[in-house]
Amino acid sequence: MSILSVENLKAHYVTEKRRKITRVLAVDGVTFHINKNEIYGIAGESGCGKSTLLKAMSGLIKPPLQVLEGEVKYHFDDRELDILALRGEKERREIRGARISHIPQGSMSVLNPVRRIRKSFEDIVGTHLGIRGGSEFEELVKSHIEALGLDWNVMHSFPHQLSGGMRQRITIALATILKPDVIFADEPTTALDVVVQRGVVQLIKKIKQEQQNTMVIVTHDLAIHANLCDRLAIMYAGRIVEEANVDDMFQTPKHPYTEMLLNSLPTLGDRSVRESAPGAPPSLVNPPSGCRFHPRCPKVMEKCRLEVPELIEVESGHQVACFLQEGRVYEQTRELGANYH
Amino acid sequence: MFKKFFIPRLIQYFTVLFIGITLVFVIPRLLPSDPVATQLQRMTAQGQYLDPAAVEELRESLEELYGLKGGMLQQYLSYWKRLFSGDLGPSFTQFPTPVISLIKMSLPWTVGLLLASLSISWIIGTILGGVKVSFPNSLVARAMELVAMGMRPIPYYIMALVLLILLSFIFPIFPMAGGYSVGSKVGLNMRFIKDLLRHAFLPILSMVVLEIGGWFLQMRNVASNLVEEDYVVYAEASGLPKSKIVFRYIMRNAIIPQITGLGLNIGFIFGGALITEIVFSYPGMGTLLYSAILAGDYNLIMGINIFSIVGVSTAMLIIDLLYPLLDPRVRYQ
Repeated sequence: MSILSVENLKAHYVTEKRRKITRVLAVDGVTFHINKNEIYGIAGESGCGKSTLLKAMSGLIKPPLQVLEGEVKYHFDDRELDILALRGEKERREIRGARISHIPQGSMSVLNPVRRIRKSFEDIVGTHLGIRGGSEFEELVKSHIEALGLDWNVMHSFPHQLSGGMRQRITIALATILKPDVIFADEPTTALDVVVQRGVVQLIKKIKQEQQNTMVIVTHDLAIHANLCDRLAIMYAGRIVEEANVDDMFQTPKHPYTEMLLNSLPTLGDRSVRESAPGAPPSLVNPPSGCRFHPRCPKVMEKCRLEVPELIEVESGHQVACFLQEGRVYEQTRELGANYH
Repeated sequence: MFKKFFIPRLIQYFTVLFIGITLVFVIPRLLPSDPVATQLQRMTAQGQYLDPAAVEELRESLEELYGLKGGMLQQYLSYWKRLFSGDLGPSFTQFPTPVISLIKMSLPWTVGLLLASLSISWIIGTILGGVKVSFPNSLVARAMELVAMGMRPIPYYIMALVLLILLSFIFPIFPMAGGYSVGSKVGLNMRFIKDLLRHAFLPILSMVVLEIGGWFLQMRNVASNLVEEDYVVYAEASGLPKSKIVFRYIMRNAIIPQITGLGLNIGFIFGGALITEIVFSYPGMGTLLYSAILAGDYNLIMGINIFSIVGVSTAMLIIDLLYPLLDPRVRYQ
C-alpha cells in the first residue's frame, strides 16, 4: 500500500529579469509511489533536482520555485490529501512536523544559533501537541532523546557548543519526536566523517524499526542507499531514469546512466581507474532534447535525440526510461557497443 | 569565564579613554596660535594702555587659568588633576563661566532630543524592517519600502525646513523656535512639561522621519539574508506558526547588528545635532560646539570632545558587555 504518490510532478524555478523569463526545469515530470514502511532512496548527481523534489513533496513552495503540474498525494491512515492542493498555509503547517518531517542537509546550521536546544524542542512539541514546558514535556523529550543515545544535558547547550555529529543526531531527534508517518532525509550524512556517518545510519535504522515510519532518503552517496534503502530511484536532469529494488538496481542496472554511476564506485583492493560518465551534467535551463542523457550516453541512437523515453516496467518492480529496453533494439546495440569497445 | 570576558574589555575601555583624552590635550598644543597671546592682543587692540608689568602679571594668571603654565609634562599632569576634580577650565569667550557649566546647560537638551528621536526611529524602523521581510509581498510592506527608499535621499535640512514651514508657519500648530516658551516658569509641573514636548515635537519628528528609513533598510537587509538560513527554512518545514518564526528565528537573530548600530549612535549623541538645533533654534551641544569652534574657544572644544569620547566609549562598553546576552556565540570567548 502506498503512503505517498507523486504524479507527473513538474516544479520549475522561474525567474524574470528584464522581461526575459528563465526557467530551471529542476523537477520535470516525475512519477513514483512510496509504500508504507519502506525506505525509499533517491540518488543522482548534484543539481539533478533531488532537493527540489523533496521541497515539492513537503509543500515548501516559495518563489522562485513553482509547481506547474502534478500532484503529491499522501494516504495517511485517517485521511488522504494532496499537499499541493491545500489552500491554507495553516493546513500545511499542521501536517509538516507532525505527519511529515525533515532531517535536513547540513545540520550544522539548522538549529537557531541564539537559542538553546531545549527551545527548539519546545517550539515543535508546543506547536503540534500543545505541551508547553513542564514535566510532561520533559518526560516526553527525555525518553525520546535517551532512546536515541543522547544525554539530557545537551538540551541546555547552544548549537555552537556541540560537534557536527551531535548536532546531526539532535536534528534527527527533533525530526522524529512526534513519530511522523513520513520522514524526508536530505543528505543526512553529508559533511560528517565516516564514523559519525555510521552512527547516523544506525540511528535512522533504529528509529525506523521502532516508529515504523516511511522514509525517503535523498543523497548522492550510493553506499548509504545500499545500506538503508528498500527501493531506489535514480534521477537524472529532473527526471527519474530508473527505479528498482536496491538489490536489483545494484546487480542488474538497466539504464546506461545507472550503469556508469555504479561503475564509478570503487571496490576495495581494485586499483584500476574508475570510469565515469563523460562530460558534465546538463543545464536544466536548456536541457538536451529527447532523452536528457543522450549527449553523454555511449549507446546513443538516433531516436534518443528526438523522443523522450517513458518510464516502463521491464521486470517486476523494475522501471527504466530508456529506448534500449525496447526489446530487440536493446540486444543489437549491446552487440554494437561490445564491438565498439 | 566571567573574568576572561570582563577584565579585557574594561582594560580596553580605560585605554581608549586614556589615549583619547591625551589626544585632546596634545592636539590644541600643536596648533600655532597661542590663546593667551590672542587674549592679550584683543585687550591692547581695544586701545587700552597696559603697563608691561601688569601685562606680565595678566599673562601669568591667564596661563594659570588655561592650564598653560610650566612645561608640557607639568601641564599634562595638572590637566588630569583638574579633570578628576571636574574642572575643565573657563570658557575663553564667555569668561569666566566654567566650561563644565556651559556643557551642563546644553547637555540635557541634546540628550533629550537625540535619545528620544533615536529610540523612536530605532524601534519603529526595526519592527517595520522585520515585518517587511516576514511578509514581503504584503501591500503595507511594499508601500513602506517605497516610502523609506524615497525619503532616504532627501537632505535633512530640507526635510526639517519643510516640516517647520508646514507645521508652524502655514498651520501654526507647533512653535517656531526654542526649547520652551519665553517667560514660562521652569519646573516639574504639567504645564511646563507640555510646553517642552510641544517645542521638542518638530525637531524630534524631523529626525525620526529620516532615521526610520535607515534603520528599516538595515533591518531589512540583515533579515532578508536570514530568511534563507537553514534554521529558518527548517522551522518552516517543522510547521511552526509564522509568528514564532518571525519573532524567535528571524527577528531574534537580525536584532544583533541593530543593537550594535544603536550603541554607536547613542555614543554620538554628545556631538549634538547641529542642523536640527540651527533650523529649530533649539538649544544643545551642536550650537555650543559650533560657536566654540568659530571663536577658537579651546577649553570649550576640549571639554565637549572629552564628553564625546567618554560617551562613545561608554556606550560601546555597555553594548559589548550586553552582547553575550544577545548572542550566545560570543559568550565566554
